Amino acid sequence: MLPQRSRLSVLVFLLPPLALYGIAVLLPIFQSLFLSFFDWDGISPMLFVGFENYIRMFTGDTVFWIAFRNTLGYVVICLVLQLGGALIVASLLTLLRRGREVVKTLYILPAVISTVAIAFLFQRIYSLDPEGLINQVLEFIGLGNLQNAWLSDVGTVLAAVSVPEGWRFTGLYMLIIYAALLAVPAELEEAAKLDGASWWQTFWRIRFPYIRPVWITTTIIATTNALRGFDIPYLLTNGGPGQSSELLTTYMYKTAFTSTNYGYASTISVFVVVECLVAVGLIFLLLRRKADA
Amino acid sequence: MNKTRTRLALAATVATIGLLLSGCSGGSSGSSDPTDVSPEGEIVPREISWLLSRPSDGGVITAMEQIADEYAKDHPGFALNLITTPDRPSYIQKYETLAAANKLPELFDTDATPFAQKLASQGTMMDAEALLKDLGVYDDYRPAALNYQRFDDGSLYMVPFEFQLEFFWYNKALFEQAGVEVPKTLDDFPAMCTKLRAAGITPIALDGQDQWPLERYMAYYPFRTAGPDYVQQLKKGDAKLSDATGEQAVQWLSDLGSAGCFQDGFSSTGYSDAQASFTSGKAAVYNIGTWELNSLATDALDPSVRDDIDYFTLPVTADSVTAANEYVSPSGIGMAVNAKTYDPLVRDFLSFALKRYPEVYAATGALSPTTNVQTTIPDNATPLYQRAVDQANDVGEKTAMPWDTQLDPTSNTRLQQELTLLLQGEVDPDEFISTMDGVIADNGPKAFQ
Repeated sequence: MLPQRSRLSVLVFLLPPLALYGIAVLLPIFQSLFLSFFDWDGISPMLFVGFENYIRMFTGDTVFWIAFRNTLGYVVICLVLQLGGALIVASLLTLLRRGREVVKTLYILPAVISTVAIAFLFQRIYSLDPEGLINQVLEFIGLGNLQNAWLSDVGTVLAAVSVPEGWRFTGLYMLIIYAALLAVPAELEEAAKLDGASWWQTFWRIRFPYIRPVWITTTIIATTNALRGFDIPYLLTNGGPGQSSELLTTYMYKTAFTSTNYGYASTISVFVVVECLVAVGLIFLLLRRKADA
Repeated sequence: MNKTRTRLALAATVATIGLLLSGCSGGSSGSSDPTDVSPEGEIVPREISWLLSRPSDGGVITAMEQIADEYAKDHPGFALNLITTPDRPSYIQKYETLAAANKLPELFDTDATPFAQKLASQGTMMDAEALLKDLGVYDDYRPAALNYQRFDDGSLYMVPFEFQLEFFWYNKALFEQAGVEVPKTLDDFPAMCTKLRAAGITPIALDGQDQWPLERYMAYYPFRTAGPDYVQQLKKGDAKLSDATGEQAVQWLSDLGSAGCFQDGFSSTGYSDAQASFTSGKAAVYNIGTWELNSLATDALDPSVRDDIDYFTLPVTADSVTAANEYVSPSGIGMAVNAKTYDPLVRDFLSFALKRYPEVYAATGALSPTTNVQTTIPDNATPLYQRAVDQANDVGEKTAMPWDTQLDPTSNTRLQQELTLLLQGEVDPDEFISTMDGVIADNGPKAFQ
């Protein structure tokens, strides 16, 4: 129990950020929830429609389901690149004796570059006419027949818009995991090695359980970030061709600001919030349970 | 526990009140009378703003900056603050958000969209026809330029600042190389593309990323076979793409796709890449308006193709109901005058600016939306420049309206997406028609009721 004065000072310091959080995060969420029960174009009077927007979203809107499926694909690709890539690079980094700082800096660099610049960069990399980096490389190594307009092909576009987002934050998650790996006590690993444990056994039985709390946090950050991914797909393809790279976020944006259907857009945004909460719940459930096992 | 619950309830209540307040602030409309174009009172110079969507170094902004400076000399304290967002989707977001918050500036750009029509019916915009007539400039305008800005009921709430003609620019040398002629009818397009492809030439350079260039092709065939009214009916659900007119148009587009008319990967090609493909002699045809005269009809054009470039206008069809001199001739996004902030100063400035504008604008080498001035041909122009400018005097009465300014925004977005799929061969004409008829039936009648 804290003395009275300390409790007061804790309150004084905690309240402003809490108020800010309330205004900047909770209020808009409640506002969306409220708007989702209306039909509103921004300038006409708001029309209460009850659950009509929700019924339309779940039963009558094919684009919504395409966007949802694409979002899941986007999240999977981003997570594999971000978490898988981060774990591999961080593990390799611990083996490195020199130049760790340089490698770390190089990997974190994309996270610092502006999204618009990254989108332009990848537009060029994927381009077919004029020939971009990927198609040039394919031609150079004699695989010219595999050249493709990566952002125009409905089969490749979703992966093509996910990769830049995944690549971009690999370095950031690598740093977090690397810091966690450094904290694994060397004695434990040495003891395991003396007992004849293989590299994989050491990793899976000693290292990974040790960094599990950090891993859970990283997974949650990466998943919710990917679920809210918007900028790179929007800038690269604007959801196209057709709806092949349409995400829930880009669809929501178009519904609000192109169709000026703020009510329905709010319904989609409520779904995005719920989806993020469910994802966090699932991650906790799966990873915690393993930890307890 | 109980305390927490009370607090949560309190927080929720506060949030809801906040919501209600912010929700209510949106819908109110302007207080002035939109037809009272000559309000009484003193002219008090102040800064006025124009929210616009035009290139920042383009002719309109350059001319208006000069005119505002001239006006400010006689009216100390006056300033025209130009806030431009050339990227159209970003602009529309900004403009619609400001409209929802009831915070539009004195002047703002808009197309004749359903959203703009709602604003007009709420009394947010001044009646442009009454204003132009009151200023004595109405008759100076090209009827086509004004008609482009009108709503379906014929009312006029936007002032045009440009006049453009859209042509098919083509490379004579590439046509010769492939042994093709300028298409006489729209039906000649697929064969033209096949021959050009066979000769290893990209038939048509298309900026697929911005969507509207491809949507033009959707407008062409019905404009020829059924005239400008077709899209007016279609957007309200009174006509369908499954009608003979629509079916023919969709089939034509599908044929363009199977003939490989557009470059591979066109949907991710941007504006400048498409243009570069034409100006570098790679693509044979490029469909663009006279706003690109400076790049296509001056010595800015690559010397290797300069003498090979020519243009043709939208071909007719066998049973065309519109004439060969009728095609897409837009007067660009229009300027609306906010009724809420309209006062003697805004009127006086507009009176000065709209009378002065044609001369200043035409001097930049552009086509004025009025007929009372001659366009100055730049010194570095090719003979094509003069020909294109003269063509403006020969434009017929009916104009092919771009569909992106006609359809309701939801149907429009979906049409743009489905068009790419149709041209890429991902959906067949029947699927395309049934999808689009469904989407328009869901959204069109509601938007235009």
